[in-house]
Amino acid sequence: MRNRSIISSNGAGARINVTPMIDVVMVLIVFYLLVGQLALDRKASITIPGSSSGLEEQQTLDPIIVGITSDGILSINGVTLDQSLFIPEIENMHARSPGTPIRLRADRDAPFGVIRPIMHAMRDANIPRVELVTEQRR
Amino acid sequence: MNPLQSKTDTDSKSRALNQRNVLTRTARFGPNMTPMVDVTLVILIFFMASATIAGPEWFLRADLPEIEEQSDQSSTFALPTPILSADLLIRDNQVFVNGFGNETLPIETVIQRIAAMDPTLSNGLILGIRAKDDVPYSAIVSLHDAASRAKMRVAFR
Repeated sequence: MRNRSIISSNGAGARINVTPMIDVVMVLIVFYLLVGQLALDRKASITIPGSSSGLEEQQTLDPIIVGITSDGILSINGVTLDQSLFIPEIENMHARSPGTPIRLRADRDAPFGVIRPIMHAMRDANIPRVELVTEQRR
Repeated sequence: MNPLQSKTDTDSKSRALNQRNVLTRTARFGPNMTPMVDVTLVILIFFMASATIAGPEWFLRADLPEIEEQSDQSSTFALPTPILSADLLIRDNQVFVNGFGNETLPIETVIQRIAAMDPTLSNGLILGIRAKDDVPYSAIVSLHDAASRAKMRVAFR
């Protein structure tokens, strides 16, 4: 019969069976690795502002996430890119799927001088509106 | 001391030690898990400590500035009326709002005024936000938040 005790009774010295612990720890490590990969664009480099009002997620389409750090570093869907490449990239993405919502994840400390050119570039790409991502504050 | 007795004692001690080693060896077969558990726990603690604790998110919708068709590539924009305008600026390390009631007011005062507005009047109004380069994004979002609570539509200018 299989030994179900956490203390192994094999041999002379009884010792703790570490197999279940390793199983759990390995599962936790894999979980954190996956979450870390999935949340690349939510890294600590961007601290989004809070708001007490807002719209909840409703669309089925995956939004295009435009990230702006406080230093003005741009990213689209977690991929950092230069400002000169931003306009053609956002134009292409918007042209491929015009109904896709565009979300702006800008750092709360980013000066508006960094954000304004991005908004103008998006407007030039015929994007009529943008969704500003905020943290829920109730 | 009898040398024969001493030798017998030594032999018996050696036998006992050998017996213990044999027992230990038979009990501890397989790889030693201790270093692996150590490393694994360190990795786990690292991931737990470096994980960002982020709250749930939602979003505020805003219109982007409209380009005037006849403009000569300058940054002039036209917005549909009726419109309230709010020009944000920094003065003495504080954010002020100009154009909201023909005076320059601290942003907190403007947010309070928006909150005090009659929702039936503010509903559907367009708040056009313009900001100086040094105004932090969080100030713009806080004004947008107040306007959204008053059912206003927000557009950047």
